[in-house]
Amino acid sequence: MKQMHAILAALRGLLRQTGATLGLGFLGLIVLIAVFADLLPLDPLGQDFLRTLEGPSRDYWFGTDELGRDILSRVVFGARTSLVTAAGAVTIAALIGVPMGLIGGFFGGWRDAVLMRLVDVMMALPAILFAMALIAVFGRSQGAALLAVGITGIPGFARIVRAQVLTLRKRDFVVAVEAFGGTASYNMFRTILPNSWSQILVQVVVLSSVAILLEAALAFLGVGVPPPTPSWGEMLRTGKSYLHEAPYYAVLPGIVLTLTILAFDSIGRGLSRLIENPRDAALQGSLK
Amino acid sequence: MTEPVLSVRGLTVSFPGILGRVPVVRGVDLDVHAGEVLCIVGESGSGKSVTALAVAGLLPQTAQVDGSVRVKDTDVIGADAGTLRRMRGRDVGFVFQDPSTTLNPVLPVGRQMTEGQVALGLLPRREAGARAVELLREVDVANPEGRAGQYPHEFSGGMRQRAVIGMAMAGRPGLIIADEPTTALDVTVQAQVLDVLDRRQRETGAAVVLITHDLGVVAEVADRVAVMYGGRIVETGQVEDIFARPRHPYTAALLHSIPRMDTTDRRLDPIPGNPPSPAELPVGCAFEPRCSVGGGRPKCLAEDPALRAVEGGGATACHFWQETPPAMQPAEVRDAPSAPAERQTLLEIRDLKVHFPVRRGILQRVTGHVRAVEGVNLTVHAGETVSLVGESGCGKTTTGKAVMGLTRATAGDILLEGASVLGLKATDMRSARRKMQYIFQDPFSSLNPVKTVEDIVAEPLHIHGLYNEMGGAQRIAELFDLVGLSTSMFGRYPAEFSGGQKQRIGIARALVLQPRLLILDEPVAALDVSIQAQILNLLEDLQKELNLGYLFIAHNLSVVRHISDRVAVMYLGRIVEESDRDTLYDMPVHPYTQSLMSAAPVPDPVAGRSRERIVLEGEVPDPADPPPGCAFAPRCFRATGICRSAPPPFEQYAGSESRAACYHAGPLEPGQSRQRTGT
Amino acid sequence: MIAFIGRRILQLIPVLLIASVGIWAMLYAVPGGPIGVIVGENATPESIEAARREFGLDRPVAVQYADWLINAVRGDLGASIHSREPVFDLIMDRLPATLQLAVAATIVALVLGIPVAVISAMYPGGWADRILSGWSALALGVPTFWLGILLILWFAVDLRWLPSVSQHVAIWADPAVALRNLILPAITLGVYVSGVIARFLRASLVTELNADYVRTVRSKGLTEGAIMRLHVLPNALLPFITIVGLMMASFIGGAVVTEAVFTYPGLGRLLIQAINTRDYPLIQGCIVVILVIYVLINLTVDILYAYVDPRIEYA
Repeated sequence: MKQMHAILAALRGLLRQTGATLGLGFLGLIVLIAVFADLLPLDPLGQDFLRTLEGPSRDYWFGTDELGRDILSRVVFGARTSLVTAAGAVTIAALIGVPMGLIGGFFGGWRDAVLMRLVDVMMALPAILFAMALIAVFGRSQGAALLAVGITGIPGFARIVRAQVLTLRKRDFVVAVEAFGGTASYNMFRTILPNSWSQILVQVVVLSSVAILLEAALAFLGVGVPPPTPSWGEMLRTGKSYLHEAPYYAVLPGIVLTLTILAFDSIGRGLSRLIENPRDAALQGSLK
Repeated sequence: MTEPVLSVRGLTVSFPGILGRVPVVRGVDLDVHAGEVLCIVGESGSGKSVTALAVAGLLPQTAQVDGSVRVKDTDVIGADAGTLRRMRGRDVGFVFQDPSTTLNPVLPVGRQMTEGQVALGLLPRREAGARAVELLREVDVANPEGRAGQYPHEFSGGMRQRAVIGMAMAGRPGLIIADEPTTALDVTVQAQVLDVLDRRQRETGAAVVLITHDLGVVAEVADRVAVMYGGRIVETGQVEDIFARPRHPYTAALLHSIPRMDTTDRRLDPIPGNPPSPAELPVGCAFEPRCSVGGGRPKCLAEDPALRAVEGGGATACHFWQETPPAMQPAEVRDAPSAPAERQTLLEIRDLKVHFPVRRGILQRVTGHVRAVEGVNLTVHAGETVSLVGESGCGKTTTGKAVMGLTRATAGDILLEGASVLGLKATDMRSARRKMQYIFQDPFSSLNPVKTVEDIVAEPLHIHGLYNEMGGAQRIAELFDLVGLSTSMFGRYPAEFSGGQKQRIGIARALVLQPRLLILDEPVAALDVSIQAQILNLLEDLQKELNLGYLFIAHNLSVVRHISDRVAVMYLGRIVEESDRDTLYDMPVHPYTQSLMSAAPVPDPVAGRSRERIVLEGEVPDPADPPPGCAFAPRCFRATGICRSAPPPFEQYAGSESRAACYHAGPLEPGQSRQRTGT
Repeated sequence: MIAFIGRRILQLIPVLLIASVGIWAMLYAVPGGPIGVIVGENATPESIEAARREFGLDRPVAVQYADWLINAVRGDLGASIHSREPVFDLIMDRLPATLQLAVAATIVALVLGIPVAVISAMYPGGWADRILSGWSALALGVPTFWLGILLILWFAVDLRWLPSVSQHVAIWADPAVALRNLILPAITLGVYVSGVIARFLRASLVTELNADYVRTVRSKGLTEGAIMRLHVLPNALLPFITIVGLMMASFIGGAVVTEAVFTYPGLGRLLIQAINTRDYPLIQGCIVVILVIYVLINLTVDILYAYVDPRIEYA
């Protein structure tokens, strides 16, 4: 119940900021469309061979591609691919990264050394290369893309949570729990974790946009979600071959992708701003 | 009379808040003349620091500043950036509170000391280096040639603050503003810094505005005093008058609420309530809600009194200032502590040592140890307060944490009710921790910000699975009542409470498991003086009611004298002197204890200034590399050859109850401390 | 100082070792294992056995790894399955193109990023700050490949000023042609990083501007410009060294996408080709080289940082 309260307070705080409100609005729209895409009169796979590479019209608002498929439908279903990959990847990254950071930061010593060397290894390659190497091993599929993007997100969570734990660990209220006999696991999960939710939330938002970008980049390079599943990156990849004949093909999906990333970014910045100077007493309690 | 160096008329400052502008300074008038020291004293939120910053035009852009401020011949308010800059560089020197952050960490200190002069063309660039060395020498920094090229992190805190003073006086400005210049420093270092400030002020004839919350410092250095409360000056006058015959109930109440190191024991007389928040000031007199004189009189409630001159010099802002209670109240002697032999022994610390390894080199090998605690023996009985007193880094807090098991003891033993708590299994340690509890210095960081205060106080019960057994919500309500909080506050978060209330919550939490022993680590150091008295009284009452034993860790000698039955003085990991409270304060025999007591400022401008003061040279040595023999020898005025060869034994001093670790223990003879041995 | 460098290098060894095991083990995680990689899908049992002996795959796994590692340290990364040429030579062929692009992009990023940060930090909350913060959000939000496509549309397709496919021409061979080929990829890659730099540097400048020592400097009567130049920038630029290093390092590998957009003949293109043709020795080689460069740049940055910051002791 308390978490609900904190989330509502955060939402109220975000809605006070213009940028974050716009971001939330756009993202809400994208999510709604992606969830209810099946109910809309859209067909991402149907081909109309008579009308290939046709510009935006009354029938095809975003135009058609080289196979005569409706680009708007493919953008809508591409949103689904993006969001599913992002959600799955963030979940994987958080489920592995958060405990890594908690354990390393709290116990220190050899556990910390081992976990942090692992993180160093994962960060020794740029995320996109790391993901490509993983896909080279797993083979190309939607699952592989999701897993690869998720694994590259682990170090981010581990580092942020660890840093948070290291700051909190020295704070008197954590020492106090130890002083009146609280066990290490009590302290980790009941004292430190609840004080880290806001940082984790910011990282979730940041990583979501990174994941969407990464998924699109992999598809753009031809190693992401395999066709014919619609993906924004894949559309840009094909669209790039028809820049002379059909410039809208690469431009319109790119606009949607960019707006989605900007939306996440504005929400992330809004959240950080809330943490830095909360106006709401409940926020001060729960977000700090 | 000559023109004042600084003249302030009708100064108001407000900052933007959630519900409109918040007035922080509400009409301040001030004059300071050359060669004069004006102290502005007040609690947090009184507007004293903002006043000081406004004088130099250093407030942020968001501040709305009105009225008139004149420094020499510059009108500060409304001046353009260039005029302000020249005024700051030529006419005003600033000394800020925290010497660890006031210098740029990546530039050499010497360059920072002279750059203002160089930038304004008052000092040729090629002479800057030599001038910096000269300035450092003037503020008693040893080896100034070598020091000028060093970075701030290579300076100790006291040295840094002296360098800042040198910097502020570099251009011989007519006005020095010092904002809490010694608050972050230890008392022996504070004495050095105040000494330098005083000497340089006399040499340059500057006017000084010194802002502080410490009445002892005020009594020590001020010529004139302005007391601020709720954004206004409520009383001004000569320092002797302020302390002897206060003319505002707030000044009188402040004097009553501070513990004294030099007088007999009496119960403190705290000011009820909290200092007002600038956003929620009452309509009438800002002090009325806490005032013993006003007492709800209609005039006080309706009309904010103006500051007006009164006969005999000085001015007050009180409608009924004639009724102000006298400064001194008759001493009321507390119950004498009964003989320790009859009492149950709660805690016994035997030869405790705590060392922290120092790692260096490629392989991070342990190359040495910080000897934080080096052989401490101490006993605490039920119903008794034993204090550990010393400067920062002496090992007093580490001792407390080692007793709680929060820091691992390297050697020695700790007995709680006769049973050792070292090397206990985790479960046994948990049950041992029910008998002793810890109270933290900083009430702001010791409470979990995401829990309600009810949950915070109940947390120890939940951890030990005793919540229902010990009475549940009923028990929490009892504790709230015991520490003077209302149960209507149950659902609130710590951020909604003031410092004093938070410390009460911390105390309630510590008591919930019914411990026998409390370890109090500087429990009042972070609080305003008027709130300190409330908490000290609460602690005394609780001790009497619950027969608790206190291990009280503090650096403030007045607070320690007030609350303790026995006192142990620590220096560099060892106890150098231990005795019952009155013997220790009336006739200290260890030269360190004597220096500490003489360095501590006394809130009495007459007696305080006439006493002989020992200003120690140098600073506390590095505990990783302590000097051979007696650790205090390098700074000691009695040290001889034997002191540097072997550490002195901790023995009974023949002339009194005291035990001390000194080859030359004995009461202070007049004039003796002048034969100092330099570092 | 030497001890400090020594310790940093020692700390790198476990990272490099773990990473090398990972890269080497890639072959074994692939369906069909290393033999499948070598002989392809339509292999007969005889050819499999022959390959097993020829490539020493009948030896114990640890020996195979040690052998691979020793060869890799010597610069022998095996031969490409596809072209049969040594992997090391293939990579060295492409590396100069990628390095040239990385340097050009760093210049673009710094030239665009630093002024933006300084101007927004000097007037936080003002109109300039709002506009410039919006600009850095845009720089961060626009995917590099889409930005590349837009640039090609404007400058190559519409205006026909610049080529849409970039060749590698060494800058000292023919500066004019080299710049024509480099300018669009460098902007594409540099704009994103200029956003990172602007946001990071603005934050640390604002923090430093509010530090106590700045108030001290102001009380000495220095001008705002001098305060920024002499005090705030030196402090804010210290952590910034790390960021610039990280950026340069990520250009080496992160250029993959940009190289794909402009079909620029760099290391990234080589890697994509290798993945598409399942040329595993080449994939391994590319990753090893990028990893080593990345680690070396980070090491240099750490040492530089310790050298510049007086507070760090080389103990």
